[in-house]
Amino acid sequence: MIPEAFPEIAWSALAPELVLVFGAVALLLLDVQRKPGVKVLWGTSLVILAIALALGVWQWIAATPDAEPIFGGMLIFDRSAALARLVVLGVSLQAMVAARSLFAHLGNRAAEGLALVLLAAAGFILMAASQNLVMMFLGLEMGSIALYILAGIAGDGVRSDEAALKYLLLGAVASAVFIYGAALVFAGTGSLDLLRVAGFFARNLVLSPAVLLVGIGLLTAGLSFKVAAAPFHVWAPDVYQGAPAGIVGYMAAVAKVGGFAALARVLLSGFESFRPDWAPIVAGIAALSMVVGALMAIISSDIRRLLAYSGVAHAGFILTGLASGAQGSSSVWFYLAVYTVQLVAAFSVVSALGGAVSSGSDLSDYRGLYRRSPFLALVLSVSLLGMAGLPLTTGFVAKLGVFLWAWRGDLEWLVVVAVVASAMAIYLYLRVIVIMYMQSPADDDPVLCDRPTSWALGAATAVTVVLGVFPQPLLKLVESAVYL
Amino acid sequence: MVELVIFVLMGAGTLAGGVTVVLARNPVRSALGLLGALVSLAVIYVVNLAHLVAAVQVVVYAGAVLTLFLFVIMFIGVDRQEDTSETIPLQRKLVAGLATVVALGGAVLVSRGRFTWTPASGEAAEIPNGTVQALGGELFTTWVLGVEVTALLLTIAAVGAIALAFHRRSAESPTED
Repeated sequence: MIPEAFPEIAWSALAPELVLVFGAVALLLLDVQRKPGVKVLWGTSLVILAIALALGVWQWIAATPDAEPIFGGMLIFDRSAALARLVVLGVSLQAMVAARSLFAHLGNRAAEGLALVLLAAAGFILMAASQNLVMMFLGLEMGSIALYILAGIAGDGVRSDEAALKYLLLGAVASAVFIYGAALVFAGTGSLDLLRVAGFFARNLVLSPAVLLVGIGLLTAGLSFKVAAAPFHVWAPDVYQGAPAGIVGYMAAVAKVGGFAALARVLLSGFESFRPDWAPIVAGIAALSMVVGALMAIISSDIRRLLAYSGVAHAGFILTGLASGAQGSSSVWFYLAVYTVQLVAAFSVVSALGGAVSSGSDLSDYRGLYRRSPFLALVLSVSLLGMAGLPLTTGFVAKLGVFLWAWRGDLEWLVVVAVVASAMAIYLYLRVIVIMYMQSPADDDPVLCDRPTSWALGAATAVTVVLGVFPQPLLKLVESAVYL
Repeated sequence: MVELVIFVLMGAGTLAGGVTVVLARNPVRSALGLLGALVSLAVIYVVNLAHLVAAVQVVVYAGAVLTLFLFVIMFIGVDRQEDTSETIPLQRKLVAGLATVVALGGAVLVSRGRFTWTPASGEAAEIPNGTVQALGGELFTTWVLGVEVTALLLTIAAVGAIALAFHRRSAESPTED
């Protein structure tokens, strides 16, 4: 039997992902055959990421605004997916440049770690580009399972094991919730293809959509877990605290990009016609995330828990933009692009200060960091100010964007909550900066970080400030990344 | 009618198996509960004309995976007591309360007629063909990318197993290398 409908195989559209996947396999083989030093492996992974990023940029330039689905409707590399790819690859490169000491610590596990990083990036890009819920689930699992392993890869202590196990167990529950939601969507519409789901609603009037509403709710809950939005955030502080410091920033950033891209595609591309039903729920999750995140971050005494809870609050801010509908998705992308850079930079500082495989970083270690390393203190300050959303940083433009769209989307109450939460958040970020600049250190030993780390941190700081003052180029870039 | 009877019976069997997995104190009983759930599901697959899926379910899950579970359980020791005391106070009561709220909410929705299950007809209603040929055709045409990505997933699992278990052991006792 010759199959009559063989889908179009568009390998060229997947060029960056193929580079990542073959690169990961090549790294593993290189490790087995030659046993090169960690530096060689690490350098190779950077080259692979750089090639993938270059191909991603090329695809962005070559992409037409109205992209066609490929692989028989499994994937679609429209502007938003192409942008998700750029963000994932960009922050992966940023995180890996700064992570040399982590892989040096991992020793004979370095090749596995690097391969997992590349595969996780490929997984989250596939997730962001999925138009089919099964494909989305596969991308989600590919990325998540790699992250579970990375959380425990240092394996040097109970905390790291606990983090990996917690992440795995809670992640498995979230995946089950997601797949149940996908099953109910299939039951309600007869299709797993989001474009066909949208088409189904265009042609049919669904009189009692209870099955679909439950399905949408479960999909939203499953993906909210991945982006650590309250009340699905309980894993985040423990995982961020226990996982090796050198990899946490990467883990948090790529999971957020993949999760939000998938959430945006499900809600804005598949279920746009149900917006009156899901917008209040998403807005509720957003409000809860912002308040809970900011409050819990204020009472945290460990910088990683603080960053984790502030990540919960940021998930809330991003959801605020999402709740405002399809036009708001450009503000969501701006926020994601600038926040992930700040997040990775902040965790790179944590790693440089506390050691790449350490678990836990008490705030008291940051006392007087200014005297021990002015550069690290400056980088962390700029990242935190960016997260706080102070003017002249990218964070301000990002917050302004999501607030504006939420206001236009008739979510005034949510904007009020968001502004109050931002004000609370400013206090918590300033607290860290005060600790770094105004308290005297316990010891005066200078903190050293290797040269690649300083490059990555310098670049991230420059991006945060320069794009904060002149945001037009990035705003233009994300303008077209709207789900239709 | 026959379909409905089988579905109700097997659905009850699946649920009972699932409940046993969670509630049984002895891990072997949990494993056997899982076996019951898996086999009941396989029968439901047969009713839906998905013969190959049913066969795979029995051979792979009920046969291979469950045997592996039993091996691991025996390996660890059947009669080891699990510490089931809770660290979070009132955990059970909280969960029971939440479950009650959800169930009540569902009941209210059902009673008001807001929750009628009307699965979409039409697009999904073609007669399924569960033969090996049909399934293989589907897998390697429509779902070919999914199959490839699943291969990557298995790669990740293998890499992870080596990174987490193998290297760690060799790091702890380098003489074994």
